[in-house]
Amino acid sequence: MLIRSTRFGEIEVPEDSKIHFPHGLPGFPQEQEFAYLPSEPDNPFAFLQSLAEPDLTFIVVDPFAFFQDYEFVLGDQIECELELNDANRPHIFNIVRVPDNPEEMTVNLLAPVIVNTKKRIAIQMVLEKTIYTTRHRLFPNGFVKQPGKGGK
Amino acid sequence: MLALTRKAGERIVIDDNIVITIVDIKGENIRLAIEAPREIKIYRGELYDAIVAENRQAAVPAKDGILDVLKDIKVRKP
Repeated sequence: MLIRSTRFGEIEVPEDSKIHFPHGLPGFPQEQEFAYLPSEPDNPFAFLQSLAEPDLTFIVVDPFAFFQDYEFVLGDQIECELELNDANRPHIFNIVRVPDNPEEMTVNLLAPVIVNTKKRIAIQMVLEKTIYTTRHRLFPNGFVKQPGKGGK
Repeated sequence: MLALTRKAGERIVIDDNIVITIVDIKGENIRLAIEAPREIKIYRGELYDAIVAENRQAAVPAKDGILDVLKDIKVRKP
């Protein structure tokens, strides 16, 4: 599948990179088709590239690489709609915001993206009654310190 | 926009499949019960606004250098 991205140019990606968001994303209700573009192995970051809008790319991250204790309840509605169960566990990632100083980048732990990797459908859910916020620093000590030890 | 006045215990029916019941009114707080199909997403307004704002900011193109920064990050899974 050939996709067009302002950030990456025209690139060929596997067909199963495609993820369908039936509700779009909050703030982007029309954007329902994305490609999930992972980085190198061992790198927790990835990109979510809109297939309709080359300008729209989100940086996303595996939350568990930075917040080992991150946890929440999916709830029956999400499980049913995404057809998830014990035999079909979701893939979870969170959207990263990169400010002018990249060391201050934050991740939105309040609204994780839940993916059914078999059907390639996903929802960005909003957690209820949670300690998490829209902005958790990924590198509270900046880049110089050991990455991955951050969090809290 | 439609504005309706309701009392506790009364309902509002939207389309054929959404029912909002005024469960209780105590001072400034109104408790609602919402019955809707599961594909209808229901959020607290301020929470939804926060996610919209955060997504929009996250969508702002980051500086080119960020790709190199992210590329060098390796995190071993626990």
